[in-house]
Amino acid sequence: MRAEFIRNYKSVHTWTGILSGLALFIAFYAGALTVFKEPLLRWSTPPSAILQPVPLDAAQPLIAQTLSTQPAALRGLTMRMEDGQAIPRLEWKVRAPQADDHDDRDSRHYAATLAADGSVQVSEEHPSQLVEFIDVLHRVVGLPADIDPYRWFMGVIAALYFVALVSGVVVLLPSLVKDFFALRVGKNLKRMWLDAHNVVGLVSLPFHIVMALSAVVFAYHDQIYAVQDRMIHQGQWAQPPASAQGSKPGDAPARNPADMLPPSQLVQIVQQAAPGFEPNSLQYTQATGPRPMVRVWGKDPQAVSPRALGGFAALDPYSGKLLSTDYLSGQQSTPNLFISSFFALHMASFGGTAVLWLYFLLGLAGAWLFYGGNLLWVEARRKAQRKGGAMPTQRRDTAIMAAATVGVCLGCVAGISLTIAAAKWLPGRVEHLASWHVGIYYTAFLASIAWAFLRGAARAAAPLLWLAAACTLAIPLSTLLGWLLPAAGAWADSATLGVDATALVGSLALAWMAKATARRTHHGPADSVWAVPRKLPQPSA
Amino acid sequence: MSAVPAESAQSPASRPAGHAPSAPIRTDWLSKTLAGLLLGLTLALTASALLMVPLADLPLAVSGQLAMWLVPPVWLGTLSLVYFFASGWRAWGWLSGANVLALGLWWLARQGGAA
Repeated sequence: MRAEFIRNYKSVHTWTGILSGLALFIAFYAGALTVFKEPLLRWSTPPSAILQPVPLDAAQPLIAQTLSTQPAALRGLTMRMEDGQAIPRLEWKVRAPQADDHDDRDSRHYAATLAADGSVQVSEEHPSQLVEFIDVLHRVVGLPADIDPYRWFMGVIAALYFVALVSGVVVLLPSLVKDFFALRVGKNLKRMWLDAHNVVGLVSLPFHIVMALSAVVFAYHDQIYAVQDRMIHQGQWAQPPASAQGSKPGDAPARNPADMLPPSQLVQIVQQAAPGFEPNSLQYTQATGPRPMVRVWGKDPQAVSPRALGGFAALDPYSGKLLSTDYLSGQQSTPNLFISSFFALHMASFGGTAVLWLYFLLGLAGAWLFYGGNLLWVEARRKAQRKGGAMPTQRRDTAIMAAATVGVCLGCVAGISLTIAAAKWLPGRVEHLASWHVGIYYTAFLASIAWAFLRGAARAAAPLLWLAAACTLAIPLSTLLGWLLPAAGAWADSATLGVDATALVGSLALAWMAKATARRTHHGPADSVWAVPRKLPQPSA
Repeated sequence: MSAVPAESAQSPASRPAGHAPSAPIRTDWLSKTLAGLLLGLTLALTASALLMVPLADLPLAVSGQLAMWLVPPVWLGTLSLVYFFASGWRAWGWLSGANVLALGLWWLARQGGAA
């Protein structure tokens, strides 16, 4: 390959990388945590909100009465299950009229339970939405809401990311054998970081290609479908399916939800159709309308799950007829399975716990890749000290990029940890939990960035790492305090000690980085981005 | 993201075009990037139209999804590799040719389907 190509692709890699790196750090760090949405949700749920499961069919009166008396619940009523039993609380949400499809910020959440006298009690809930918020940060690269313009911005980032991946491989190809098997640990720290950047990038390349392409799809699928519909499908795509046409509300008599099959029978029908499938919730839609449906959601640990939540079978809740197995894990047709695998490969919804941990680590490694890539950019543009000369004044853009990298990345880590820890202290103290979680995150995030710019990268790095370590340590400490002093309001949940243990390891790792960084800024080579200016011939920032 | 300047540190001499014995490779950042973005997108859409031909027996709900998923890899693959063209003109020329070829194939396939 001609050297000019390599040089050009190096420019492409540099510019696409530097434009997308910070946004990608947030997407990957928050995304790695989103892998463990379920344990995090349980960790952040107060014990008072955890109900004892009851036998499946004991929930049938609650389901029937709620559907008959709550019109808003007809659009989608969910009952969760645990170990084949029902959680006796039904949930539904009412979306804000103008809200974007994926935007739940203004949705109102309701729950129905059965009172001791057998009557249905409906209450408006204010769920913390903590895991949803972390997921939103992941989906729209750190912006506050999953709405179209932010998703399109994410799509641009994802496209830059894909080009950065290809160009990075092109740059590495000619010296692949030499560089790939080399991690030159030694005096040349920049060489070592570059070697590590190459190894991590190349080893996780398939993961990154999947992430980049699927993220572009998540951003622009509506637009691509619209263009394809006009160009290729002649308007057929936007048409509702034939079965939905011609059935007017008046055609069928109104149905009585009390006539629906009991949950145990619905679950049994699905399990007969899909033996390995483990149902975990029932979702009723349009139960009194002409097209009543219940989706039996669940997972098959041996199969690919079509969506992050798992897969589902669609049934008629009155007759028990199977309406669709297109999204039923393990029972999909080959083309449907092929499509589902794109989702599953992005969302780690296959292969069980081992794959979750693998994705968690790959996500963190990805975040490190972008952090390190930015630092390499800074290092490559740094003006070196001439032998015996004064410390040079660095270019403005490198100083800005160094401060932004430190502030954004470490601020994101600190903010997410702090808002997670707050989940053990906010319930009962404030009403609108969700806004508090958002506020806490952005306060820590923006303050870290401001601090990094105020102090400069070298002075801010170690304190911000200590801040991130302290915020992360607050997660297991909150649990510990809840265990020692339940009166303080926090609580300990033995089912989620894994969350606390992971946070503890994370905080130790951050503390180690803080110590190493502090050592380098104060005692490392003075001619470095990471040196705090010392009393040398000419101290300059 | 369009006009990305070459780093001054890494392209020390902007060679006068035409003086080197083998044709020099022009950077042409803007025109190559635009070719990759625009012609890459039209090529990707036509490729997805071509994919619909062998998938005609599948329900549209399935084949339509597969066709949608084909667009980003072809589009961004083209955009990523466009800098291998020796100049912006060549990028536009070759990618236009690829577009015409793909559209022609699609037209032929539809004629065959209609017959």
